[in-house]
Amino acid sequence: MAGKSGRRSENRFIRYLILFTWALFCLMPILWFLSIGLRPRIEIITPQPIYWPSFSLDAWKMIWQDWPMAKYLFNSVAAIFGSVLIDLVLAIPAAYALSRFTFRGRDDIAFYILSTRMMAPAIVAIPIFFLFRNLGLLDTIYALMLVYAAINLSIVTWIIRSYMLDIPKELEDAARTDGAGDLRILWEIIIPAVLPGIITAAVIAMIFAINEFLFTLLIASTPNAYTMSVALANFTGGSDGVIYNAIALVSFIAMVPVFIVVLAIQKHLSRGLTMGAVKG
Amino acid sequence: MARIELIDVQKRWGHSVGVRDINLDIGDQELLVLLGPSGCGKTTTMRMIAGLEELSAGEILMDGQPVTDVDARDRDVAMVFQGYALYPNMTVYENIRFPLRMRNVPKSEHRHRVREAAAMVEMEPYLDRKPAALSGGQRQRAALARAVVRSPQVFLMDEPLSNLDAKLRQSMRIQIKQLQRKLKITTVYVTHDQIEAMTLADRIVVMHEGSCQQVGTPDEIYSDPANTFVASFIGSPPMNLIPGVVDGGVFECQNVRVTGIPDSVTGSVTLGIRPEDCSVAGNNSTQHAQGTVYGVEPTGDLTYLSVQAGDNTLDIKANRDYRSELGEIEAIEFDTQRLYFFDSANGMRIRA
Repeated sequence: MAGKSGRRSENRFIRYLILFTWALFCLMPILWFLSIGLRPRIEIITPQPIYWPSFSLDAWKMIWQDWPMAKYLFNSVAAIFGSVLIDLVLAIPAAYALSRFTFRGRDDIAFYILSTRMMAPAIVAIPIFFLFRNLGLLDTIYALMLVYAAINLSIVTWIIRSYMLDIPKELEDAARTDGAGDLRILWEIIIPAVLPGIITAAVIAMIFAINEFLFTLLIASTPNAYTMSVALANFTGGSDGVIYNAIALVSFIAMVPVFIVVLAIQKHLSRGLTMGAVKG
Repeated sequence: MARIELIDVQKRWGHSVGVRDINLDIGDQELLVLLGPSGCGKTTTMRMIAGLEELSAGEILMDGQPVTDVDARDRDVAMVFQGYALYPNMTVYENIRFPLRMRNVPKSEHRHRVREAAAMVEMEPYLDRKPAALSGGQRQRAALARAVVRSPQVFLMDEPLSNLDAKLRQSMRIQIKQLQRKLKITTVYVTHDQIEAMTLADRIVVMHEGSCQQVGTPDEIYSDPANTFVASFIGSPPMNLIPGVVDGGVFECQNVRVTGIPDSVTGSVTLGIRPEDCSVAGNNSTQHAQGTVYGVEPTGDLTYLSVQAGDNTLDIKANRDYRSELGEIEAIEFDTQRLYFFDSANGMRIRA
């Protein structure tokens, strides 16, 4: 007996060791960002490796004092959440219609929606620029919301649709005979049942949006609409050269909103990512 | 309280026909069972009654009022599904309450009515649970409570017991019948299980390939089948069907010979005899069929015997102490009062 339980705790130790190593490996870039961001600029550009860097808040002070970092952060968060909200409001009814109602050309429409994702973004860059100029929305976060929403709408619709396809039709039939109409069924039965899928889609859309650079650069021309991803570019040129420790810190800060969101909905997310794979 | 009439009801999807020309008159408070193999159109027929499926042709009346174009939510029917269809995000209480909310039943009545419905199916202790935390039988009872809570005009049950194990199925069967008698609600029940059909039904509708084969009480369906399909679908083991020729009052085929056939039966026919109306022939009895023993299955209360007579395998319910070796020759006696004859060409019953 003793030998057996001894082996079991040994197994557990090895398991934790592997998991710890893997976690460390995954966290390495983030720790590296922090380490670079919190050391003096001079220590970054020395050719010799420095094992114990000295601590400095120079970069931290610089990005908040010399740059409207809070404004960038606000722009990022507002544009991302706004776009995800637009996506969900549009995609949930669309996904419902595409997964449940039978009408002519349904599958073609579904594929058309997905195909918008296959286009190279640069192709629509110029039309989008003129479109927003004519709308008077250039250099506003509203334009960013709309562009991010447009980019992600197809993938969000498809993810939610695939979750809806997995919901047994019986559930809706039951609700209908119980006296519920289409909107009631969508709101009270379908949405709660596909919530993990909706959350998964929203997180994926958020990650795409936070990484978006091309259209943001096109639309934002002043700090009024700069987001974190474009702000980063500010540190790579100009008379000061590439300011690595500032870049590292800004990148780190840019991660924080998504990190918080993922942490908050982690339970739903892991369920969501696996639920589509295994039916029932 | 409702009488349901189906008049020339049809369902087609493009060229494939799901249900063809069904005519039914379901009486108030009746428990009608739609019975048939999978794909026979029984569920489709029920879904049309529920309003979940549009009719391709024909009409449905409830209490004389046409409901063909009335949406499911506006028909006063409640349905129980094979997969229970409980709303996974709601507790049992919320599930049972859902129809009350949808039909704008005053809020003050909800608690009382949900409890009453739950009590009927002994689900009161589980009202706070989510469906995922219930066993199969409990889920089924929760689904029943949800159906009865608003006292609908019509109950529709689509194979409600098929996901349960055999023992539970029997007790639920009794419970459903009790409930239906107590509430006096017209009920349509779909199943492929003949035992369920025989035990529950006031009348059975046997369906095959989208059409109605026979409508009758369980006794009628069993002892007076209209055609070879009904004869072979009902009974376990099913009726023996032996193709042969009748000439001058004598039925003959390989290894089978029966005399004294009524004059109305001549030519090429199928003879039907139920396994319980066959017996192993004693020394002094008539030998209607001979063959080699193909299978002997003692079950305790009786012994299932299969005999290979020519091209036909005959199933016989023999005495419980009957035993023999495989391959032995055995003679079989038929109860000649209980012979059925069917037209070989179309399978329809020939009545003497």
